Order: sequence, then C-alpha cells, then structure tokens
Amino acid sequence: MLKQREFWLVMAASLSLGVFGVLLAVWGNPENSGICVSCFLENSAGALGLHGNERMQYLRPELIGFVLGAMGSSLAFREFRSRGGSAPMGRLLAGFFLIVGCAVFIGCPIKLFLRLTAGDLTALLAFVGLAGGVWLGLRSLAAGVHFGAATPQKGGAGWVVPGLFVLLLVFLLAQPSFVLFSNRGSAAEHAPLLVSLGVGLLVGVLAQRSRFCITGGLRDGLLMGLRAPLFWGLMVFVVAAALANLSVGRFEPGLYGQPGAHLDHVWSILGMALVGWVSVLIGGCPFRQLIKSGEGDADAGLVVVGMLAGAALVQGWGLAGTAAGVPFYGKVAVVIGFGLVFVTGLVMRERPA
Amino acid sequence: MGWKDWHDRLHLLGLVAALAALGWLLMSGAPGDSAARTGSGVERAMEREMAYQARVAFLEQIYGPVEEMRRQGSHQQALLRLEQLNRQYAGEAHGFILRGLILHELGVLDEAAANFVRGLRINGDYVDARSPLSQRAPIQALVDEGHERLSARARANPDNPSIVAALRNVYYLQSRLAGGCE
Repeated sequence: MLKQREFWLVMAASLSLGVFGVLLAVWGNPENSGICVSCFLENSAGALGLHGNERMQYLRPELIGFVLGAMGSSLAFREFRSRGGSAPMGRLLAGFFLIVGCAVFIGCPIKLFLRLTAGDLTALLAFVGLAGGVWLGLRSLAAGVHFGAATPQKGGAGWVVPGLFVLLLVFLLAQPSFVLFSNRGSAAEHAPLLVSLGVGLLVGVLAQRSRFCITGGLRDGLLMGLRAPLFWGLMVFVVAAALANLSVGRFEPGLYGQPGAHLDHVWSILGMALVGWVSVLIGGCPFRQLIKSGEGDADAGLVVVGMLAGAALVQGWGLAGTAAGVPFYGKVAVVIGFGLVFVTGLVMRERPA
Repeated sequence: MGWKDWHDRLHLLGLVAALAALGWLLMSGAPGDSAARTGSGVERAMEREMAYQARVAFLEQIYGPVEEMRRQGSHQQALLRLEQLNRQYAGEAHGFILRGLILHELGVLDEAAANFVRGLRINGDYVDARSPLSQRAPIQALVDEGHERLSARARANPDNPSIVAALRNVYYLQSRLAGGCE
C-alpha cells in the first residue's frame, strides 16, 4: 500500500484538510469551524438571500474553492465527465436531509472531527452516530438498496454546478448589492478571502485526486480494516487536526461550554446517524458531493442543490441546533429523514427475481 | 451541430449576441452608487444596518432610565421600572439582559444566569464582540463566578434540581461565549 500513489494522495488530502481545518479557524473562521460544509452552505444560502438569519450570511470562499479546485484538477487530468441521471429526486431529497442531520448536530462530518480534536467531547457521541449510520448504510447496500449507476449525460449537465460556483465566485469578488454579508454573528468571522479561497482550491484539487471522503473512510474501514487507504486517510486527518489544535493552543477538553455545541446527545447521535446512512447510499459525505459535482457528476450536483435548499430551510424554518439544544421541528425533520431512508430502502431495492 | 443547419446558426448567433450584450453591459460599467440607489432604493445591506442602528438607538432610549438607575445604585427601582417595561415590550431580549446584569450585581447568581440565557436565546448580539449591544464582559464574569460557586454547590447537592438547572444555564452561557458557527 505504501508504494501506491493513491495512498500518498489520500495522505496529502487528509493532512491538508486536518491542518487547514484548524488553521482557518485561527485565521478568522468561527471556533472549531475552520472547515464545515453544512455551516458554510448555511452561510452561503443566507448570503444569496435564501434565509433571513442576519448572523449567517457570507459566501464562504472555501466551498467555491472545493468545487472549482476539483473542476480544475479533473479537467487537467482528463477526468471531467458529464454524467448523472440516477434517481434525481431521491438525491435532491438526500441533500436536503444531509443538511438537516448536520444542522441538528451543528456541523458536517469534517467539523465533527474538528470539534472532537479540539476537545469537544459532545462530538464523541455524534461520532458513534455517524459510524452507526455508515454501518447501516453498508447493510442497506448489501441488501441491494442503491440509487442506480450514473450514465454519461448529453448537454453538459455536469457543467451546471461548477458554473453555479463560478457565478458565486463572481458574486464574492464583485459583491453586488443583492448579496448579503453579515457584520455580526458567526458569519462575520472569516479568514481573509484569498487565503480561504486558496485553501479551498488546494483541498479541492487534493480531494479530487485522492477521492478523500470522511464517510468513505469509515465505510472502507468497516469493510477492509487497515488495508483501506481512505481509512488511513481518516486517521491521518484526525491526528493532523489534533496536533494542529494542540500546537495552536486550541485543545480544550470538556463536555460543557464548547463552541457551537449542545447537550442534546440523543439528537446529535441521530442527526449524524442520518448523515452517515444517507452518505453511504449516495456515495459520499457532503464534502465528497461537492468534489464530485466539480468533476461533472450531475447526480452529486443535485445533492449539492438539495444541500443548498436544505441549508436555506434549516435556517429559515429554525430547524438547526444551537447551544440551547435542538428545536422541536429540527427533531421532527430528523425523524422524517429516517422515514424517507426507510422508504428508500423499500422502493430502491434491487430484489432477486 | 454545424453552420449548415439554420437552427444551429440561429442559436449560435443568438448566443454571440447575448455574450456581446453581456460584454457591453459589463464594459459600460455597473451603475454608480447614487444611480443604483435611485434605481433600486437604498441597498439592502445599508437598509439592514440602518434598521439595526435604529433598534440600538431605540433600546437605549427606552431602557436608558433603567440604566441610569442601575448606575446610581438604585437596583430595586431599576427592577421595578424593568417590570413595567417588560409588560409593554414583552419578550424583548434587552430587558432580560438588563435584568440579568442588575441581579448579578445584587448577588442573585442563579436568576441572573437564567435571565441572560433568556435574552441570548432571543438575540445573540449580546455575546458578539462587534455588536454595540455586546455584554460579553459581564456575562463572562458571571460564568467565571458561576463555575466557582455553583460547581461546589452542585457537588454538595447533586440531587437539587434548581442548582443543576442554574449550572446548566452557566454552561449554556459559556458555550455561547466560546463562539462557533450556529
């Protein structure tokens, strides 16, 4: 495995994600949120006027960097393929409920580990939920549940989401008056624009080349153990983030008073279990969906659109967890998400004749 | 797709025209500040900022007398005045925060924490260092004191629900002070 180029690409991607995930918070992003796909999507949806939370409006350059970095890399290495067409509505809904699960926990799988490595012990139970969800997803796959394979798409469907992110980059640089930027709250906290964009592009390129994915690492670990490069990548990501947190003095172990955390552990577990399960069914965590959409995968692009809609609605409808806990309708949304996963298990199952 | 087919030609022509129009629009430049405003009214960010500043000024005006009483040390009178104001502006976060400040100064730690929590759940600006409404320092002081006093009490009386609730409020405030994205 050590002689494989793929292994070292995974190492580079996971190392950069772990180190920059911490450093971006040092450089100005919110505490423990150096990189968080769900939080950043909520910020971006707010910046586009899709929700009215004035403390959550900023076009996060990291997200733009992830997609455009992946696009550039896949074009350079001739891996850009316009493909898709499998269960579009299911993927749209999956994207929505990915964000519901993340918002209830307050963070995507990347942030889960960033919180954990900063000493936030509430994330420990959420990790149990995520791992459980991935395991359930694997059981579903083994039982024949799947969304179908992507096929080559005519008409450049794969360019739509990268095109959208190019437009977001124009919005970010030109800052037209209809794009909103918070001047207080967590969205007002951000690393310098060019630094964030540069990190996003670098991580996007490395993630595209390596296929790095948080839930993919867990999935491969459960399937293949230590033989899986992605599992090693996950461990390197965790160690790198922990060392980075320790070296910048941001490791503060504890259960209480952690930034952007709550004590509704059951809902953290369930939220992350939903994220893990859905991620395995659709082939990757929220971060991986962004990267795949940059490679021309219109199916992942639909998940990204669903995530953006979800990001707008969790803020607009008040579904997201806060330090005070998980709101009632957030809990309802998680339960509905599980309901839909069960329905998916029934209707998307390939049964032997 | 090719030049020989009229449908393709028409579409390519349309595309070129659209790109040319876009280029012309961009080259001619976005309307200047004043022109944009006459076209679309005051931009949203400015409107939002004005509304926020107006809110801050309004709060200062309404709750100013309470602040004055508090500064003069007339805490009981300030609490009475707050009670009246709370009937008029029920659910206003500023009232809860002020009550928390006064109760903390009177040494009523549990109630002060509960009021800060109620205020912060309504409006997070009170722990935001950038906000003119920021009350980070007094809330931090309460958290520090709360840890010291309530933790000891909770250890001595682990089954006392009111102490547990007060400690929970202190943890909540600590978490809000720590920041994070939510």
